[in-house]
Amino acid sequence: MSDPYLPGSLINSQLIASLAARTALETPGVLRLEPTLEGFLARLGPAALRSLRHPGSQDGSYRHDGVTATINDGTARVDLDIATDIAYTALTVAEAVQQRIHENISHTGLTPGRIHIHILSIEPRPE
Amino acid sequence: MALEDVPRLGCGRSIDEVWAGIDQPPTGHEEHCQYCQTARTRLQRLQEATVALRESDLHDPELKPRPGLTRAIMDVARAEVRRGNRLLVRTTDHGTIEISEQALDSLIRIAATAIPGIHSRRCRIDIRTLPNSPHETTSTARAPRLVINFRVAAAAGIDIPKTVDALRQKIRTAIPAGIGIDAGTINITVEDLYDV
Repeated sequence: MSDPYLPGSLINSQLIASLAARTALETPGVLRLEPTLEGFLARLGPAALRSLRHPGSQDGSYRHDGVTATINDGTARVDLDIATDIAYTALTVAEAVQQRIHENISHTGLTPGRIHIHILSIEPRPE
Repeated sequence: MALEDVPRLGCGRSIDEVWAGIDQPPTGHEEHCQYCQTARTRLQRLQEATVALRESDLHDPELKPRPGLTRAIMDVARAEVRRGNRLLVRTTDHGTIEISEQALDSLIRIAATAIPGIHSRRCRIDIRTLPNSPHETTSTARAPRLVINFRVAAAAGIDIPKTVDALRQKIRTAIPAGIGIDAGTINITVEDLYDV
C-alpha cells in the first residue's frame, strides 16, 4: 500500500524547505546548514527582516538558513547549502541528501524537481 | 550656480574647520579671533558631551551584544565568503552537487598541517570537466579534474623535494577521502623559506 498523499493545497515552499532542511540534518555526515543573512535577521526579529525583500514568496520560493525551496506547476525544486563532516566523503553525503529529499518530496504529492546541493564547508565535527 | 551651504563664522572659516582642530591647542588665528574662540568654547562642550556619551555606551550592559550574537554574525560572514566561488563536481539524476573553493582549500590546508616543515600560503583551484568516454554511462561520467596550484613556505634545512613529494601524496589521498573525486594535478610551489 502506498503512502497517503497530503492534499497539494497544503504544501507550500516553506514546508518543502523545512522538509529538506530536516532531511539533510538527519543524513549522516551533514554537520549543519550554512547560515544566511536572511536567516540571521529572521532570528533577530521581524523589524530587521523587513529591511530585506526575502524571505518572501513573491516568486513562489522560500529561503531560510541554507535552504531555498521553490514550487512551480506542482514541481518542487530545492537548493541546499551544507557543511559536511571531514570523516565522511562529501560527495557520498551530498548524494544521500539528494536521494532522501527526492523521496520525501515525492511523499508530499509534488513532483521532485532538481535538487542542488552546495557543499560550502568540510570540517571536523566539533568536540 | 553651485550653492555652498556649509555654515561659516563671521571670519569666513567653516565650522567644520574649527571642529577638526577641537582636540588641538588653538591656532594663531583662533587665539585672536573672537568668532573662532566663541565657536571653540561651544564645540568643546559638544566634544565633552560626545566623549561622555561614547564612554557611557561602551560600558552600558544594555548595549552589549547578547551572548552568541557576535559568533552568529561571524558564522554568517564566513558562510557568505564560502558561497563565493563554487565548483561543479557532479551532476546526478536528481540535480547538481557543487563544492566551494573554500571547502577544497581548507581540506588541502588541513592535509598540509600533517607535513612537518611546511606552512601553507596561497591556494588556487581550477576545475576542468573531462569529455565523456564512450564506455561511461552513469551520472558520474563527466568526471571533473582538479588543477591545484598550492604555494607554501618550507622550513630552512629540510629536504625540500622529499617534503614536497610527501605533501603532494598527502593531498592526493586527502581529496578522494574527503570529497570523493580524484585530486588531479597538484602543482606545488615553494615560494619562501622560514627559520625554524
